[in-house]
Parts: sequence; C-alpha cells; structure tokens
Amino acid sequence: MDPTCRPAVIFDNGTGYSKLGFAGNSEPSFILPTVVGVNDSFLKNLRQTDANDNSNWLAQYNAGVMADLDFMIGDEALTRSGGIYSLDRPIRNSQVENWDTLEKFWQQSIYNYLRCDPEEHYFLLTDSPVTTPESREYMGEIMFETFNVPGLYIAVQSMLTLAAGYSTPKSDMTGVVVDIGDSAPQVVPVVNGYVIGSSMKSFPISGNDVTRFILQLLQERGELIPPEDSMETARKIKELYCYSCTDIVKIFFNPEIYCTDFTTALPDLIDKCVQSSPIDTRRALYKNIVLAGGGTMFKDFYRRLQNSVKKIVDDRIAANTARLGLDVKPQPVEVNVASNPIQGYAAWFGGSVVASLPEFCDRVVPKEYEVKAGNRAY
Amino acid sequence: MILLQSPSRFLLQILNDRLLSQDKGVDIDCQTVEFDDVRYHIQVSMRNPKVLVLSVALPLPPQEAVSFDGLPFGAIEAIKAAYGPVVQILDPPKDGFDLTLKINLAKLPSEEEQKNAILVHIASIREVVLGAPLKVFLKNLSMKIVGPEAGQPVALVHRPNESFFVIPQADRVIVIYPMRFQDSIDIVLATSFLQEFVEARRTAALNNAPTCMWSQSPPPELKGAPGSALSANAGFVTFVVNPRHVEGKKLDRTVWNLLTFHAYVSYHVKCSEGFMHTRMRRRVDTLIQALDRAKSDAEKLQKLVTGPSFKKMSMKDERERR
Amino acid sequence: MANSLRLYLTCIRNTLEAAMCLQNFPCQEVERHNKPEVELKTSPELLLNPVLICRNEAEKCLIETSINSIRISMKVKQSDELENILAKKFLRFLSMRAEAFQVLRRKPVQGYDISFLITNYHCEEMHKHKLIDFIVQFMEDIDKEISELKLSVNTRGRLVATEFLKQFI
Repeated sequence: MDPTCRPAVIFDNGTGYSKLGFAGNSEPSFILPTVVGVNDSFLKNLRQTDANDNSNWLAQYNAGVMADLDFMIGDEALTRSGGIYSLDRPIRNSQVENWDTLEKFWQQSIYNYLRCDPEEHYFLLTDSPVTTPESREYMGEIMFETFNVPGLYIAVQSMLTLAAGYSTPKSDMTGVVVDIGDSAPQVVPVVNGYVIGSSMKSFPISGNDVTRFILQLLQERGELIPPEDSMETARKIKELYCYSCTDIVKIFFNPEIYCTDFTTALPDLIDKCVQSSPIDTRRALYKNIVLAGGGTMFKDFYRRLQNSVKKIVDDRIAANTARLGLDVKPQPVEVNVASNPIQGYAAWFGGSVVASLPEFCDRVVPKEYEVKAGNRAY
Repeated sequence: MILLQSPSRFLLQILNDRLLSQDKGVDIDCQTVEFDDVRYHIQVSMRNPKVLVLSVALPLPPQEAVSFDGLPFGAIEAIKAAYGPVVQILDPPKDGFDLTLKINLAKLPSEEEQKNAILVHIASIREVVLGAPLKVFLKNLSMKIVGPEAGQPVALVHRPNESFFVIPQADRVIVIYPMRFQDSIDIVLATSFLQEFVEARRTAALNNAPTCMWSQSPPPELKGAPGSALSANAGFVTFVVNPRHVEGKKLDRTVWNLLTFHAYVSYHVKCSEGFMHTRMRRRVDTLIQALDRAKSDAEKLQKLVTGPSFKKMSMKDERERR
Repeated sequence: MANSLRLYLTCIRNTLEAAMCLQNFPCQEVERHNKPEVELKTSPELLLNPVLICRNEAEKCLIETSINSIRISMKVKQSDELENILAKKFLRFLSMRAEAFQVLRRKPVQGYDISFLITNYHCEEMHKHKLIDFIVQFMEDIDKEISELKLSVNTRGRLVATEFLKQFI
C-alpha cells in the first residue's frame, strides 16, 4: 500500500472552476464550477426551534446529519439550486472564504468524482500567490485530519503554470505569469522558481467582469432574458462566442470602457510589473510572458498582448536612445507571449507534470511530519 | 451523496464524450485510479475513433483468495454475458493490467435508452468483474442451487491484499468482513459505526434486512481460514443474506453493496470527520466572540482610532488606493 | 451530572476570581525583560501555591499563580475511547488556532489536555470578570461539544447503517 506507486491527485481549485485529476494525465479528469449547493433547510429550522425551546434536539440532530450529506457540487449544484439548496462559492477572489463548503467540495471531488481513496494517494493542491500561511495550514489540516492523505504538496499556481512547460525556454522557471481566471487577474513575475511578491500586480477586471460587461451590452441592446438566468447566459456567450479584436477583449486593453476608476491597460500593467522587478531579470521576464486561466482563451488575445507590450518596450528604448543621444543601438528586447490550447488549465497541467517527477515523493509533506510539527509544516 | 454509485463517473464521461464526437479523431490516453486500487487505462487512437481500449487492473488478491489469471472466477463469463458484441476481451491484457477490453462504439444498439443503459453498464465494469464470484453465489441462492462449496468459507478479494469471506449455504449466504483501517481515529469511529449497523437492524423498519452482527474476534464460521486474514483492527461484520435479498432486480444492487461495504464505511467515517470540522469551526467562532467581549471598551476604542499597525492589504484596498 | 458540572465550574470561577490578582513585574534575572513567572519558576518567592480542583478522577483543573501570570490547565472528561479521540481532535483543532485565542497556550502542561496562560497584560487589556467568564464558558463548551460530537457520531452511524440496510429490502 505505497502511495509512491500510484499517481498523485491534483486539485486546482480556482475561483470559477476547479480542475481535478491524476498526475501523469494530460488533461484533468473533471473540470467543474467551484460551487456547492448545500441543504440548509435544517439550519433555518434550528434557528426557529432555538427561539422556542431545545425540546426536540434529537430530531434536529438527525436532520443536521442528514443535511450534512445532502449537498452536491459543480454543475449538479447549479442545475438544482433554488428550493432547499442554496449555492455557496467557497473561493472568492482566489481566497478561500468558506472552509466548511470547501471541505464538502473536496469530499465530493474525492469520493463522487474521482472516486479514489484519499489514503492511497499523495495530493497536490494549488494556491494563489497571495494566499496567507493560515490558509495553507487549514488546507493541510483538512487534508490530513479529515481525509488522512499520506502526503501533501501545496504549490503556487503561477509556478505550476511555468512548470507546465509550454512557454518557450523549457524548464527555466523564469517568466511573467498573466493569470486571468474568474477572479481578479494577476500578473506575477517568477524568477528561478521564486515569486517576486513585491512586483506582483493585479488587474481589477476579471472573467466575471467580462461576463457582467456582456450582460451590460445585452441590456443596452434590450435583449429579453429572464433576470435569474441572465448571468448564466452572459457566461455562455462569453465562453462560446467571444473572440479577440471585438469589443469584449478591449476591456483588457482599454479598461475605461467598463469602469472609469481604473485606466491602466493590461499591457501597461505587465510592463510596470517587469520594470519593478530586479534589473538583471527583466530581459528574461519579457522573453517569457505566459498566459494562464480561462480568461485568456479569447482568440488572438496573446498576439494582441504581445504586440502591445512589444510596442511599449520599443517606444521606451527609442525614447531613451533619443534622449541620451546614443550612437550605438541597444540590443533589442525580446518580447514573447506564450499561449497554448491548454492554458485554461495550465496550473493543473503543471501540477500533473510536477507530481510525475521522481523528486515529487521527496518533496511532499508526509502525514507523520504534519502530526509532529503541527502548523509549522508548510 | 449517501450511497456509492456503481458506474464510474470518469468512464461514463469519456464514453459519452466519445459518442457525441464520434467522427472527430482525438487521441486519448489517460489513467485513473479508483478506491481499493482499481485502475483504468483508456486509449483511443486517431485512426480508429470508434474503438476504445479499456484496461483494468484489479486489487492485488491476497493468498487465500482464488483467482484465475488474475481475474476472479466467473469474470470472463460475466463480461461476455453483460456486454455481448460491444465488448471484446483482448488476450493477453496490456502490460501491468489484468484485463483489456476493446469497446466498439459502432456496435452499440441504436435505440437511445438501450445505448445509455449499456454505456452505464460498461462504466460499472468494476462491479461486473470483481462482483462476478459473489454474483454466482447469490444467484445460486436465489435459484436454490447448492454448489460444491456449500458450508465452506470462500475468500474473495475486495481490497488490495484483503479479502472478505462468503459462506454459501442452502438457504442463505453468510458474508463476513474483517474490517481494517489505517488511522487510529478511523478505527474508533468505524467501530462505533459498525455497532450501529447491528442496532439499526433491530428496528422494526429494517426487520427484513439481512441479519447483521459485529464482533471483535473472528466469528466461528471462519475456523480454518488463514491467520493473516483473521486479524482486523475494527472487528468483524457478518451479514446473513436470504433469498429475498437477491430476488430479481435486487441481485445486482446487493452484489454492489456487499462488494463495496468497506469503502462505504470508510467514506462515511471521512464524512463524519468533515462534519466534526464544521462543528468545531463554529464552536471556535463563538469562543472567539466570547473572548472579544472580554476586551475592554477602551482598547476597542483605541483600535478604532489608530487601526491595527499592520493592515493586511486586500485586492480591494489596492484598487481603491490607485 | 449537570448539577455537579455547575458546582465544579462555580468552584473554578471563585478560585480564579481570587487568584487572578496580577501586576506588572519585570524579570529579576534579565534587565528590561518581562516574563511570565509561572512559566519560568526560577524565583520561588514569586509563586503561589497551585490549586487543584477535581470533579472526579478524570476531570480536573490546575490553577498555578504567580505575581504576574496565571496558568490554568485542565483535563477533559474522556470516559471511553470515542470521547478520548474526540477530545484529542477538538483540542488539537483549538491549539492550531491558539493565535486567535491569545490566552491559549500552544502546548498543554504535561498531564493535562489544554492550558491557558494569562499575564498581567491580558488583564489590563481585558475585563477581568469577562476573562473569567470566557474561561468558564470555554470549559463548559468543551464539555458540551464533546458530548454533542459523540452524539453526532452515533446518529450518523445509525443513519449510514439504515441507508445501507434499506438497500436490501
């Protein structure tokens, strides 16, 4: 019963979608919305009876236990929402907001979707570069204490994206990861596998905002959509019909058309991010700008981004040369934006690559260590 | 979800996807591992998009369990009977697997309902293969056939290196599980769960369910079984299955439930640990509130005026600052 | 039973009210240091006699006092194996969150399940009687939580068993 001979389980829980699967595969086994439909009818009852008296607490207990098992996740939750089920998104803006429902989400992911025995596999979880240490501790606590996993590895999404290896210089862990998911997009510079936290930038327009923007356009056109389905419809439109070079993608390049308080376009933000990184890493960073997340899947998005960043960089070099009156032409800066059909689940794929490496088994935090060191393990 | 379902979600998803985009040639080569170490490997090649090659690896059988070429007895016949022309068994199986099947989507029945039924059935391959011997015994019970093994405990594999025992008799089949868990907390929780099985069976509503017993030491029926199979840290559970539990359509359901009894208990042990976390989080919150009430108003006021010295910057704050 | 718990908790409350007289006291050995004397135990003249309150053999509470700090340790009832693991689980869960509790000691004193360390600074920041309220509520809640958890294990076991057996009917 050795977990090293079985593929590790990779969970990439994003704000919008969660990617679940096994290491060694090229695609996640399941991609489902990170949403839990919980039956909280018993909670309401609880509040009512609390007011009266605690006379039938046993009945409440039974109801509570029943309700605890009565929930579903992903698309099932979305289709069956309403009535006694209320929806909860455990992750908001890449931060875990509700550990109760996240634990439920994992429970179903393991037992109902992957159907694996958590005691028999190592687990690789992802977190965002802005995750707090406490949040990692809680992840470990759930994984080790509830599911008894033999070993756990928590990796930063941006790093896994680079490890996915579709960017040009293979296996060199330096680059700027532009991650646009359902939550606020992040521009994360990584040098030799380390995130430069001080230069990280975030962009206030997310995939969710794109959806809202489409909704806004639809409303302006006077389309008749039932209000309760409107968000869902807009999301489908986004996922199916949005190409680059239409109005939609413009909001990344001209954010002022959607919200007036933020006017820095995405290419400028990337440029700022690289410019604030250590000077000796900048060329390498420009050379390897990697897109990740569903929000970058618009057609030709990467080409447009590459051209814009290139233009900013070239303009600056030209301006500097002119200002200083240099005769020698400086070596041009290479700008590359890497794109790949798998970028929708790049972090997951990176996890699959990392967890297939033979070194992975030495890097996981084993259960015994967690028990001894407690929350200092990560 | 209370009960474990027999069809594998993953297999079903791939089968349905393949069927939807039958003519599109896509290479698929993926593996998945289910509980109790059942592994699947699915391959589809561009050249022949209508054919799926599914390899299945079964849990390693312990010494006492009988197997034929790594398969439980009756498995080959069960596959042939279950799938007919859609599935062809390839011999020898793929390296590292116990069974390789060629699934020909072109041979699926055209009628939608039948087609779906057979796809679900293919996704339940685990039940068909691992449950084959159990099904033979239970079928004999329903048809009142007394096999040559009557009265003798037969070991059947259900988890890697672990077996459960079936004792077929003329009017009933006794099924005994040695229950083992890795984690010390799991052992205690599972033991208390297993005793509830006995209690629950005593209620009037479940009078017709199989008789259920739990004991810390091996029951006398297992006399003669090898010693390694008789150590169990969470005791032994015995079910007595009568002909009425395997009548008609109930047979398959009974096979699946008995086959995955250990997984079922283990799943619920984990769920209850999750539930404990939920409760404990709530309790911690109320306790922290109680502590906050103790803080003097003067201090709270001070906090309001100066604010904490290190304020965590959230995305929203950052946005506002710009 | 509930009655004896009430008495036990009242006794703890009264003892704490009497014992929690803390004042600022700089360390005698190291200049400009201020350490909880009850933890250091280097100067016997600063320590008071510890008080041990027992409800029964399994449940007891040790209150150790010094000039600038007080340490309260308790042993929680664990009448059977299930209660034992539930208590272990819950107390571990709490100590993981010791940061949030401020007065909770990360590691319990040997022989006890959970310990609090209250210094004169805590007493200055917080109302003394409310702090005592908190300690007493904490003890009460642990007791309640463990019995409720135990109940939930049994209820769940029954539910799980019933659902399984229903399949055969």
